[in-house]
Amino acid sequence: MRAGRLRGGLVLSYPTNGLASPFEDVASPSTAVVPLQQDQGGACAPKVKKNDDVLVGQMIGESQNLHGASIHAPISGKVTEIIKTFQSISGQTVPAVVIESDGQAQWIDNPAESDPLVALQLAGIVDYDRQTIPLADKLEQARTRNVNSLIVNALDIEPILSSRGRLLQEQPAKIATGIDAIKKILNVTQVFITVDENAFQSVSSIQSALGGSTHILPLCNKYPQAVDYMLVKYVTHVEIPCADGVCIPDVGAVVVDVESLAAVGRKKPVVERFLTVTNSKGHVKNIRVTIGTPIRTVLDHCGITPDKGGKILAGGPMSGMAVASPDLPVTKDLVGIHVQSQREVVAPADATCIKCGLCVEVCPMRLMPFMISGFSEKGMYAEAQHYDISACIECGCCEYLCPVKIPMVQFIKFGKKQISDQRSGA
Amino acid sequence: MKTPELVASSWPHIHSGNSVQNMMLTLIIALLPAVVAAFLVFGLDTLKVVIIAMASAIFWDAVLQKLFKKSLTVYDLSAAAYGLVFAMLLPVTIPWWIIVLGTLVMMLLGKHVYGGLGCNPFNGVLIAYVALLLSYPGHMGNWPMPTSDMMMTQYPPLVELKENGPFLLEDAFPVKDLFLGTNLITGSIGEISKLALLLGGLFLIVRKKISWIIPASFLFGLTGFATIFWLIDPNTYASPIFHLLAGGSLLAAFFLATDWPTSPVTKYGMVFFGLMCGVMTMVIRSWSQWAEGAYFAVFIVSMITPYFDKIRPKVFGARFTSKRPVRL
Repeated sequence: MRAGRLRGGLVLSYPTNGLASPFEDVASPSTAVVPLQQDQGGACAPKVKKNDDVLVGQMIGESQNLHGASIHAPISGKVTEIIKTFQSISGQTVPAVVIESDGQAQWIDNPAESDPLVALQLAGIVDYDRQTIPLADKLEQARTRNVNSLIVNALDIEPILSSRGRLLQEQPAKIATGIDAIKKILNVTQVFITVDENAFQSVSSIQSALGGSTHILPLCNKYPQAVDYMLVKYVTHVEIPCADGVCIPDVGAVVVDVESLAAVGRKKPVVERFLTVTNSKGHVKNIRVTIGTPIRTVLDHCGITPDKGGKILAGGPMSGMAVASPDLPVTKDLVGIHVQSQREVVAPADATCIKCGLCVEVCPMRLMPFMISGFSEKGMYAEAQHYDISACIECGCCEYLCPVKIPMVQFIKFGKKQISDQRSGA
Repeated sequence: MKTPELVASSWPHIHSGNSVQNMMLTLIIALLPAVVAAFLVFGLDTLKVVIIAMASAIFWDAVLQKLFKKSLTVYDLSAAAYGLVFAMLLPVTIPWWIIVLGTLVMMLLGKHVYGGLGCNPFNGVLIAYVALLLSYPGHMGNWPMPTSDMMMTQYPPLVELKENGPFLLEDAFPVKDLFLGTNLITGSIGEISKLALLLGGLFLIVRKKISWIIPASFLFGLTGFATIFWLIDPNTYASPIFHLLAGGSLLAAFFLATDWPTSPVTKYGMVFFGLMCGVMTMVIRSWSQWAEGAYFAVFIVSMITPYFDKIRPKVFGARFTSKRPVRL
């Protein structure tokens, strides 16, 4: 089968491929810090008090809205502190629960839940597409629109990451169970599995487990093809606008990533993450890590030391958020860790655009990045909106190619923020 | 592990390594075959013109940056590259002071009065070319005689066409000689070997420094327009192959129309820009007093580049109209 190719975007290749590196377990931490907001569903209400004893999988934060994702104790032990203002990876200030381990790792028996969507909410399963979205919320949106196909996103968000591809190889049964469960919830008939052409072989067992109309669609290595918009376009040939009032299930399809499918298949609360830890020197390691483990412990396990003036990135180098401190814990919104040394840090420049047009050529959303970034820089937000700033998915391809290194993504994010502030103020 | 002092900034955290310097260096390398071809025909005079043009362009760039109180950026090679492109438009007989004057005009009116590279609405090279052509038509039209006594003509092909019409053009300028720049065909430095220009242009395209759309639509527009009139009246109008290979068609298509600040950036904008440049070239060559129209054409059409840039591609999802689910 010929591999598909995204129009626009970049071919980024890295010397080492993590697909062959099996998941290693990082030892559970003695103290876990668990922020009570780990997705776009809003902050969870604390369900425990100081000095409470908790078991693994016990709910410590209950999602406020019906289709959020709850948060569970990743280790068993005693709650030593409830921090009111904890700064999470994304820079938000959220409450957090600190748990001291008793070393038992004893699981709690949660009662079975009959409503499958509520069960997903109670299990705290999240889906990652540029942001962390509660899976229950995503599926509810899909169910009300009567979708008929499920697109399984087995592509890693960035070419340097490999945790999703590895998960296909190691847990095909769990993923197949998860797909089956979601097929039942949504009552869909067709399943499309989009997969990297290099991880292609590992999908066949999932396909045979599912049977019926399951299609495998291999894709070439191209960034940013793992974004939901791109996958829906690839499968359905329909481009869905990034605008208010239209959402992906409007075309009758919903995209779910394999990590959340595996979590559905495990039928347990989410207390661990599957990550790819990389650095700029070609070091790649896939790990399984308990939520609440400090990033520092993860890096120690992988033998990577961040140096002064370097960067620790939550995700990959193209779209990862720079982490303020290695003491921050692993949360559900982490998809990978990338460490850059000081030498690799790119300094943006305050230079004039030479209108070379490379950003326009590469933009997967067919925008004019230099125009919208320039308008945002000058405070001309109406013009920026006229040039469809809201359609930007902030993939960073434009800035990657820019010969004068204009920090376009930053200007565009700034412009979007100003526009949304103006709207909410008016 | 001690807590290191980390850097936080917006993504992307890696860069392709592309730079203005890199792009300009690629442009210079792409023009080297054409310089070599001219060197084989005109000898050391070629190098004299090229070196004076590049050196004076760098000099004026630095002086003007100081005068305009800008940071010194001559190391980005843009002055050197534009100096080289400018040299491509000059006959080797040109006196040194005209070159120096030309590069001053190029750097002042084509770059610094607008605020630097990227802000200029016109290609400085073409501003300087037009200024010199109007000021010193004698020097600019002083075509060098290739060093041989076996001359068939002393004029460049397009001047010959303008003076004497399309008769005997095919005998005087066989396609092979026009393409390779052999057999004593004269012209400016960049008009000698079309093979060399083609190689340089393809190099730029392969290295992804320019888009293929502008040269392709330029040459399509030029040959298409030439074909129409050649079919109507071959006694008045020269063949499209002649127009494609004579004069500066390829030089303008690959190296002038694709100038980054002054060419459109959108796909359809590039198509229309290229087509219009090609047609305008033919209009000037056929019905104006000037023999070579390609440079004028690019200069004139670049005036409306901002309007070509308004022909934007439809944004992702813009065609989505119905909310009716698409059934697979």
